[in-house]
Amino acid sequence: METFINPKSLFHLLLLPCLLLYSSIAYNSSPVEAAMHTNNWAVLVCTSRFWFNYRHMANTLSLYRTVKRLGIPDERIILMLADDMACNTRNKYPAQVFNNENHRLNLYGDNVEVDYRGYEVTVENFLRVLTGRHETAVPRSKRLLSDEGSHILLYMTGHGGDEFLKFQDSEELQSHDLADAVKQMKEKHRFKELLIMVDTCQAATLFNQLQSPGVLAIGSSMKGENSYSHHLDSDVGVSVVDRFTYYTLAFFERLNIYDNASLSSLFSSYNPSLLMSTTYYRKDLYKRRLEEVPVTNFFGSVMETIHTDAAYKALSRRNSGRFEDEMSLDQSVHHIKRRMLIKVNDGDEIHDINPELLQGEEGASKCPWSTFRNKFQKAENVDSLLNYGLVAMIPLLVISTWLVQ
Amino acid sequence: MAETKEKSLSDEKPKPRVRPIVRLGIFLISHSFLVSVVCCTAGVLALFLLPVLAKNTYISENALMPGSASPMLSNQHVSDGNRLVKDLTNPNSKSSETGIESHKIIAQYMLDLGAEVSFHKFHPQMNQFHPLHFFSSPVSGKIQENYSCSSYGINTVGIIRAPRGDGKEAIVLVTPYNALKSGFGEALSLGIAYSVFSLLTQVTWLAKDIIWLVADSQYGEYAAVAAWLREYQSPKFSSLSTPNAEMCPDVNNLFELKGHSISGSKFSNSFRRAGTMAAALVLKVRDQNEQFEDTISIYAEASNGQMPNLDLINVVNYLAVHRQGLRVNVEKLWPLLNSSWLKSLGEIFESLAKVAKSLYPKWKFGIPATEYVEGTATLASSLYYQALGVPTGPHGAFRDYQVDAITLEISPKFSLDKVWRNDILLRGGRLIEGVIRSVNNLLEKFHQSFFLYLLTSPSKFVSVGVYMIAFALLIAPLPMVAASLYVDANSSSNYSKGDSSTPSAITDTDEHGIAIRSWRWLNSAKLVFIVHLWGAIVSLLPYFISQIPDCSPTTSFMIWVLLSILSLLTSNSVLASPLACAKATQEKEWALVKSVTISSVFIGLGLMSVINFATAEIGALLMVPMCLLARPLKLDVRAGTLRSFCRLICNLVLGHIAFPPAAFFLLKGMLDGFGNANVGDFWMWVESLWAWNSATYLFIGMVQLPCWVLCVSILFHTC
Repeated sequence: METFINPKSLFHLLLLPCLLLYSSIAYNSSPVEAAMHTNNWAVLVCTSRFWFNYRHMANTLSLYRTVKRLGIPDERIILMLADDMACNTRNKYPAQVFNNENHRLNLYGDNVEVDYRGYEVTVENFLRVLTGRHETAVPRSKRLLSDEGSHILLYMTGHGGDEFLKFQDSEELQSHDLADAVKQMKEKHRFKELLIMVDTCQAATLFNQLQSPGVLAIGSSMKGENSYSHHLDSDVGVSVVDRFTYYTLAFFERLNIYDNASLSSLFSSYNPSLLMSTTYYRKDLYKRRLEEVPVTNFFGSVMETIHTDAAYKALSRRNSGRFEDEMSLDQSVHHIKRRMLIKVNDGDEIHDINPELLQGEEGASKCPWSTFRNKFQKAENVDSLLNYGLVAMIPLLVISTWLVQ
Repeated sequence: MAETKEKSLSDEKPKPRVRPIVRLGIFLISHSFLVSVVCCTAGVLALFLLPVLAKNTYISENALMPGSASPMLSNQHVSDGNRLVKDLTNPNSKSSETGIESHKIIAQYMLDLGAEVSFHKFHPQMNQFHPLHFFSSPVSGKIQENYSCSSYGINTVGIIRAPRGDGKEAIVLVTPYNALKSGFGEALSLGIAYSVFSLLTQVTWLAKDIIWLVADSQYGEYAAVAAWLREYQSPKFSSLSTPNAEMCPDVNNLFELKGHSISGSKFSNSFRRAGTMAAALVLKVRDQNEQFEDTISIYAEASNGQMPNLDLINVVNYLAVHRQGLRVNVEKLWPLLNSSWLKSLGEIFESLAKVAKSLYPKWKFGIPATEYVEGTATLASSLYYQALGVPTGPHGAFRDYQVDAITLEISPKFSLDKVWRNDILLRGGRLIEGVIRSVNNLLEKFHQSFFLYLLTSPSKFVSVGVYMIAFALLIAPLPMVAASLYVDANSSSNYSKGDSSTPSAITDTDEHGIAIRSWRWLNSAKLVFIVHLWGAIVSLLPYFISQIPDCSPTTSFMIWVLLSILSLLTSNSVLASPLACAKATQEKEWALVKSVTISSVFIGLGLMSVINFATAEIGALLMVPMCLLARPLKLDVRAGTLRSFCRLICNLVLGHIAFPPAAFFLLKGMLDGFGNANVGDFWMWVESLWAWNSATYLFIGMVQLPCWVLCVSILFHTC
C-alpha cells in the first residue's frame, strides 16, 4: 500500500485491498441488517416428562400444528418432546394426544415429525441445536440450519423457576445458558430475528440475561407468578393445556396464512385475569415496532416481498448511506483510501457484491463460480464504465482473498 | 455446688480459658433442677400442643392427581357386583362344609371377566414367641412338618394384566372373606371389589397389574394375607410341601372341577404373580352400624408403629370426602372425648390464640376447643396404636415387605332395601376405582410424603419434625441431671471427708482418694447392669412359661412374677449383691446409682425413639418423672418439710404408676372401666405383643422394668 503515488493505472489495484478492508469492517459492524428475512424456523421444546405433565406435550404439539398450518415446513421445525404421552400406558386414548376436553383434534395424528424425543431432550442437545455445534453424525433433519436471514421462533414449555427451566426432571437450563446460546447464534449469524416464547412458571426471569440484538421474548408469567393449566380433561384424567398456550392458540385459530395481525395484537390479546398470570414481553433488544411486524413473520413463513426492477438492485440501495457514517467513525490510518472508497460508493453498488462473494466462499453451500457469472450478467445492466473495470478486478480479488486466507 | 467447685479451682491455679460451650454445659448442669423442671413441663405441654400445631394434609406427590379423572364405574358394573353378592348369600352356596363352593363361585366370576385366576392354599401359622425373631422379617422358606388336611385355607387370587403395561408393578386389592360364616358385610365387600374388578378388565389406562386377593379369613384375616404375601415374595422351592397339601382330596377336587369346566381358560394351578406391589388396599364392610351416615374408617398402623406413606391416606381421604361424600374416620380414644379437663385445656388454648391474634393478626394457630378435644383423642389413639406395635389390620402384613397399605372399613347406614345396596356399591366402588387410578398414575414408590407422622384427624397430621420436639424436651434433662448427680456425689463426699479429718490428712490421701472416688461409679454401673441383665431374663421367661401346657393366663402371669422375683433375688445374691453391701460410709451411693440409672434410661429411650417413636414417647412420660424425682424415702421422712413431703407422695405415686403391669391396668381401666380388669389380661396383652414381634415388649422388659426396679431400690435405699 505504500505505492500510493502511482499512476492511474494502478488505481484499481489499489482499490482492491481497500475494498477488502472495507468489506471486513462493514461485515463486523452490521451484519444482520445486511440480510433480508429469507426463511423461517421454529424450535419447539417440551422439557418435562411424566404422565402428569401431559399438558406440556400437548402445548408443544398444538404450537407445532399451528406453525405448520401457517406455513413453516416440517424440515424447518425442530420438535423436541421429552416424553411420549401418546403411548403412555396411562393414556386412555392410545396414540392420541388432545389439547381440549372436547377431543375434536388429535394432535398426534399424521405427519408429526419429532426430532428429539425422550431422553434426547437434554440441555446439552438443546444448546447444540441452537448453536449448531453438532457432532458430525447428527443428521440434517435434527439441525437448526438457519442463516442470517432466518426468523426463528423458539417455544419452550415445562416447569420453570427463577431464571431456570427444568429439563427432564434432572437438569436445568439457566437464563445465562440461554443468553449465551443466543449470543453465539448471533455471532454465528444464525438468525436475523428471534422470538422466544416461554410458558413456564416465572417465565419472565428466563430472559433476564439476554443481550443480543434482534431478540424478542415473551413469557407467560412474571417473577413470583405461576403459570396455570387451563382445564382438566376428566376423561383422560390430566390437565391438557396451559392457559398461556391455550390463549395463544385461540389467537392463532382465528388467523390464516394471509392475515396481517401484528405481534402487538398478539401480545395485547393476553388477559391477565384469564391467564391468572401477567405476560411479560421484552422488546428492548428488538428494533422494529411490534405494530408493524405481522405474527406470521415468526409463526408462519411469510416474508416481506420487495418489488424491484431488477434482481439484486434493491438489496444494494439499502445500505449505501450508512456506510459513510461508519467510515467517519473509524480512525484515520487509511483515511485517504477511505475517501477514495467513499467516492466509489457514490453511485456505485459493486461493494455490495464483495461481501456477498466473500461470504459465498465462506459458506459451503454457495458455488462461487455461479455467483461470479451472475455478477457478469449483472454488469451489463450497469452503464458505468468504472463498473466494468471493477468487475474485471473480481478474479484478482478472489485470488487475493484466497491467498489471504 | 458447682460454684463452690469453681471457686476451689480458681483458688488452686489461674483459671484456664473455658470455651463457651463448656461454660454453657457447666451452667446447665449446675442448674439442673431448674432445667429439668422447665424441660419436662415444656415437653408435656408440647405434647398437648400437638393438636394445635397439626397441619392440614396435602397431596405431596404430583403424579397422584386424585379425582382428576371422572369415575367410570357405572350401574352396569354395580349390577354385576350385586349379582355376585346374591350368589354368595344364596343358601345353596353354603352347603359345602369347607366353603369351597363360594370360592368356586368367586373364581368363576373372575374367570368370566377374563382375569387370571389361581387358588392359593395355605396352612395357618400360629404366631409363636421366637425370642430371636424380633425385627426380623417374617420367616421365609420355613417348612412345617405337620400339615393336616383339615386345617388349610384357600385364597382366591385374580390378576388383571395391564394391557399396555410392562408388568413390573401391581396394585393389590384385598377382601377378607370367610366362606364358612360370612356375614352380609363380607359379601358386600366382595361385591364392591368385583364391580371395580369388572370395570378394570375393560379400561385401557392401566399401567400396573391389578391383583384381587380374596383372603380366606377363617384363620384370621392377617394370617391369610401374610401367608399369601410370604408365598408371593419368597417362593418356596422345596418340593416337599406342595404335594403334601395337594394330597388332601378336597383341594384336588376343587382344582379338577375347575380345570374341566372351563377348558382353555386362564385358570392355573400354580401360584401366579404380578410385579412389585405399589400399594395395597384392604376393603371391609362392617355388618352392623348405628351411624347416621355412611362412614369409612381408615386403619393404617402396621407392626412397630410403622405407617404407610401419608399420601395414600390423603388420596383415600380426598376421594372419600370430596368425591364420594363419605365421612372419613380414624381411630379415636373415645373416653378422652368426654373428659372435661381436656375440654378446658382446649378452651385455654383457644382463648390464648384469640389473644395472640388480637396482638398480631397474622398469628392464626388457634383451633376451637371441640376440635382440640377430638384432635387430642385421635392423636392419643394414634400414639397408642403405634406404641403397641401391633398392626391394626391385614394391611400390616404388607408393611413388612415395605408395601404401603391401609385397611378401609366401610360402615354403611344400614337398611335392607336394594337402592341403598346399589348406592353403597356404587360409592364404595368409585372410591376404590379412584384410589386405584390415582396409584396407577404413580411413577415411583410412594416417597414424597411422610412416613413418620401422627394423625390428629383424617385430614390433619403432625410430622416427625414437630412431635420430636416434645420427646426431645422430655429427655433433655436426663443427661444433665445425671452429670449433676455425679459431680454432686463426688464433691459432697469430698467435703464430708474434709470436715471430718484434718487438713493434712486430705493432702495425704488426696491422690488415692480421687482415684478411688472417680471409679466409684463403676459400682453403681455394675448394679444397673445386673438389673438390666435381669430384665433380659424376665423378657425371656414367657417363652418357657408358654411351653407349659394347659396354663390359664392368670397362672402364667403368677408364674412369671414369681420366677422374676426369684431370679432377681438370685442374681442379687450371686452377683455380689451391691444393694445390700453398698458401703454405708459413702452416703451418696444412691446418687451415683441414680445417675447411672438415668444415663441408661436416656440411652434406652433414645434407642427406642428410633425404633418406635410412640413407645419411647409414652415410656418417657412414665419414666422420666420417676427417674428425676427418685430419692431415698428415708431422707425425705427425715427432712420433714412440706417440700420433702410432696416429693415423698410424688415418688410413691410414680413408683406405682411406672410399674408396667400397673400402668397397663390403669390404662385399661381408663379405657374400658375397672370392672372387668383381670390379672390374666396383662399376660394376654404381653402374649399379643411378642406374637406380633413388637419392639414394645423388649422395651418394657429391658428398659422400663429395670428402670423401675432401680428407682424403687433408690426409694428404699438405706442411708
